[in-house]
Amino acid sequence: MLETAIMIKKIENLNFYELLEITPSATMQDIHKAYERIRRIYDPNSIALYSLFSPEETAEINKRIEEAYRTLIYEENRKKYDAMLRMNNIIPEEPPVPQKSRYQPKPFLAVPSASRFSAPAAQVQPTVPAPPEPPVIPLVEEPVAEYTGPVIKNMREQRRLTIRNIADTTKISSRFLDYIEAESFTKLPARPYLRGFLILYAQALGCDPERMTGDYLKRYDAGLPKKQ
Amino acid sequence: MMERDDVLHKKEIWAIGGGKGGIGKSLITGNIGICLARLKKRVLLVDADLGGANLHTTLGIGVPEVTLSDFLNRRVENIQDVIIKTAIPNLSLISGAQDFLDAANPNFAQKTRLLRHLETLEADYILLDLGAGTSFNILDFFLFSDHGVLVVLPEPTAIENAYRFIKSAFYRRFKRVVTHQGIKDMIDAAMDQKNSMGIKTPYDLIERVKQMEREVGEMLEWEVLKFNPKLVVNQVRTKNDIQIGFAMKSACQKYFGINLEYLGYVEYDDCVWQSIRSKRPLAVEYPYSRPSRCIERIVQNLLRKEQLSLSVLY
Repeated sequence: MLETAIMIKKIENLNFYELLEITPSATMQDIHKAYERIRRIYDPNSIALYSLFSPEETAEINKRIEEAYRTLIYEENRKKYDAMLRMNNIIPEEPPVPQKSRYQPKPFLAVPSASRFSAPAAQVQPTVPAPPEPPVIPLVEEPVAEYTGPVIKNMREQRRLTIRNIADTTKISSRFLDYIEAESFTKLPARPYLRGFLILYAQALGCDPERMTGDYLKRYDAGLPKKQ
Repeated sequence: MMERDDVLHKKEIWAIGGGKGGIGKSLITGNIGICLARLKKRVLLVDADLGGANLHTTLGIGVPEVTLSDFLNRRVENIQDVIIKTAIPNLSLISGAQDFLDAANPNFAQKTRLLRHLETLEADYILLDLGAGTSFNILDFFLFSDHGVLVVLPEPTAIENAYRFIKSAFYRRFKRVVTHQGIKDMIDAAMDQKNSMGIKTPYDLIERVKQMEREVGEMLEWEVLKFNPKLVVNQVRTKNDIQIGFAMKSACQKYFGINLEYLGYVEYDDCVWQSIRSKRPLAVEYPYSRPSRCIERIVQNLLRKEQLSLSVLY
């Protein structure tokens, strides 16, 4: 009677995709979004968990969520993980269909795997125009404390997206995207337009639009740094 | 919404509960009823809150002459005779018991008689307004219905009770499907959070049962998959409050393995309180208010068998 594949699983037995409530074909954006969402749900102070999980259980779940995110967000770790799941017949044999989104990272196969983790540090430091934030945002340092131009730029680079990619999906001129990242507030359009841009940009990055626009506009209003 | 009529020939029985008192069960039941009636569905509201009936008040009806207790105590033989017509076309009501203690605790025979009679009634929708708590009567009405709706407030107390309600309903359902006395005892023991067997989650229980008798365990697993209560979050004030519904959905999936469907939320507004004060239904007094709109949306989801999607948050 119960030949169905659906079985009730204990949290410890959920695979990373099930844990984040996404499918194995999820895009990077989906993973980011899902992580932000799930992390908020299983926050130790979340009242939706009240009386259901003990503090130890919550801590355990959070550890697993963290692990899942860190595995899936790195293309290579994810591939390894997928291969492991396929071997155990947990997900179907054929590799998950590569998503067709236009801002799909350019084939980064050329990047030697060893350099990937050290790359951002080397790359970011010189390009960031002395921001008030720590100049090096370690990879996957999310959730970020504050969304500033350089942080946004860094996040974009972590996702291996170029300004061009973002411009294609959001239909925002790449010039303005540059200005946003450089925080050239004087060159940016009026506040309401900027707000719209930021929302689209946030969505393209898969982060919380409300937080990103809020943080950024606060800086914008304060007329914060650099006249370029 | 109307074009979906053909899908919905069969009569449906909905139970609205939630464990905690004062969270708006009656209010939501009454107003869902009014919305459905306006869509030309024949709706019967049944106040199954036998100890503290006040569904009639949310509909603006005074203390009714005939109530459910007349039927339960066989002062009236046919359930048709306790149905009261309301001022709203297509909407009728069976009011809850008004008198003595006994009626609040009908025995098994009375309960089955009531449920049997309800099934014979001519209506498109029968909405049962359940009382607070997790007594067997309430759980049985909840499990008997085609769909169970849980109402919660975005508050720890209400959420705690909702989970307890789900758990109790769940285990009661388990107990009904198994015949083996040993397993029944185990389910009873599992209800106690500090049980000696280390059964904490329904998952642990199923594992244990499987060890004893594999087939029964699988049957219980099947029951879990079939059990999908609906959720309504009432008195929502912020976006985070809306999020709580999704969070509960996720937590239930991961903890109980059950699929809680997030039917919708009702925004907080003073007009609700005003409508109750004036003893007139919200959907009549303030049809264009935000809470009324929210209830309409819930009714739409209810009719289409849909639930809220995450996109409402973005």
